[in-house]
Amino acid sequence: MLCEECKVNEASYTLSVMVGDEVTTRHLCGDCMAKMNMDIASGNIKSLLSSILSAITGNDTPEEKQAEVVCPRCRTTLSQFTKTGRLGCPACYEAFHEQLQPMLLQIHGRVQHAGRRPLRTEVAQRNRTLREELERQMEQAVAVEDFETAAALRDRLRALSEKEAAQ
Amino acid sequence: MSGNPTILSSRVRLARNYQDLPFDVAGKPDCAAMCVARTAGALKLSGNDEGFELLHLKDMGDVQRASLAECHLISRDLMRNPDVAAVLLNQQDAVSVMMNEEDHLRIQAIRDGMALQEAADACFRVDDALSRQVSFAFDEQLGYLTACPTNTGTGMRASLLIHLPMLTLLKQKGSVGQIVAKVGLTIRGVYGEGAEALGNLYQVSNQVTLGRTEQELISAVTAVGHQLTDMELALRDKTLSTGRSALEDTVYRGLGLMKYARCMPLEEFFRHWSGVRLGAAMGLVPASLSALDALLIQVQPANLQAMTESAATGHALDEKRAQCVRAALAGIDVKD
Repeated sequence: MLCEECKVNEASYTLSVMVGDEVTTRHLCGDCMAKMNMDIASGNIKSLLSSILSAITGNDTPEEKQAEVVCPRCRTTLSQFTKTGRLGCPACYEAFHEQLQPMLLQIHGRVQHAGRRPLRTEVAQRNRTLREELERQMEQAVAVEDFETAAALRDRLRALSEKEAAQ
Repeated sequence: MSGNPTILSSRVRLARNYQDLPFDVAGKPDCAAMCVARTAGALKLSGNDEGFELLHLKDMGDVQRASLAECHLISRDLMRNPDVAAVLLNQQDAVSVMMNEEDHLRIQAIRDGMALQEAADACFRVDDALSRQVSFAFDEQLGYLTACPTNTGTGMRASLLIHLPMLTLLKQKGSVGQIVAKVGLTIRGVYGEGAEALGNLYQVSNQVTLGRTEQELISAVTAVGHQLTDMELALRDKTLSTGRSALEDTVYRGLGLMKYARCMPLEEFFRHWSGVRLGAAMGLVPASLSALDALLIQVQPANLQAMTESAATGHALDEKRAQCVRAALAGIDVKD
């Protein structure tokens, strides 16, 4: 079987792309497969993307279909993404979900994040409000020379700082 | 001998983006300015801004920009959009927060030798300080969302700058490539455009960023760094017993040229530097590895221009390089 990419060499690799429950396969020669892996390594994912799109749409010139998908937030189209290999905004991940999922699987081998998470802003906000309130109460306690209460409040503030540091 | 026999430095970078801004802000000065103001403000508010300086690339000269890139403190990609690009730089700690590169933020830290964990910890401190104050684009399934899907997930690239002269000489790079690819990493030359890696210097880094923890990625790169080091050191040992005179000839010729040449183009420097560093790591040349690693950075074009306060190029710059190299190696003598 000929390589579906260069249409010159004998295909020796099978690239399986899974979209939903459907598995589509592309047959590539060693050169085209190596080129694709090199491209991925250097951050150039155009060839991989067009290959995947071809597999999904079943033809080699999927531009017509691509033009239909547009990110509602930044107006980046799927064909722009295919051309540049760069997404327009975080919302593009949702808009191009169907095309991105197989590509991410091909690049990373897995599609479930396992790493660090951002310290959520709402947690920080909650802690900030609490800290301000405790500081205000502590100032009041000091003003009326209630040092026992002030010390207790100081300990709570310390505990809050430690908790934040641990997070 | 101070310094690592093969690994010059460890670098970690994290890609982060703001939830509400488009990834590419090159043609959008308002968004770009917001990215810079928000980041600098958040770092200050977190109380972690000590030692950081905010630099706008548009306020810097070409030499200053290139010099920071040669020191690996900013990326070459950051210089592509000098109108909007900026960096929060802690030069002392070699930590930088590049803004308006391919992603809104590239948090990066470099450490000498094999120290990926330390570099990562420095990045995480900045990441945590910022993410307390701002909202990064993050998805429960895909992790951190980045402009290019090759960075999605952790957004982390952990890399080692590694010197492999014997593996290169004995043409065992093919097997190296296989080892590296098998565990989802890549290896490439650091300097030079073509297939040849100038100075026999390579960068090993993780290719995969999604579906693994940062610790797993660091462990994988570290393990391969150790494996390549073991292979390289085994070849060095073997060469000492089987090809010592040829090795010594290469090393000492290089040292002689570096000590006395009056003009040294960068490519020639890389060749001799590689031999002398190899000699120093094997105890043939009484030079400090960390001093040689520093020299490698010093003799790059923009750094040379900055250091000598001249705009020299071409032959004149090659003369300045030779002068700088002679000064660095002046005290190095080899007993016969």
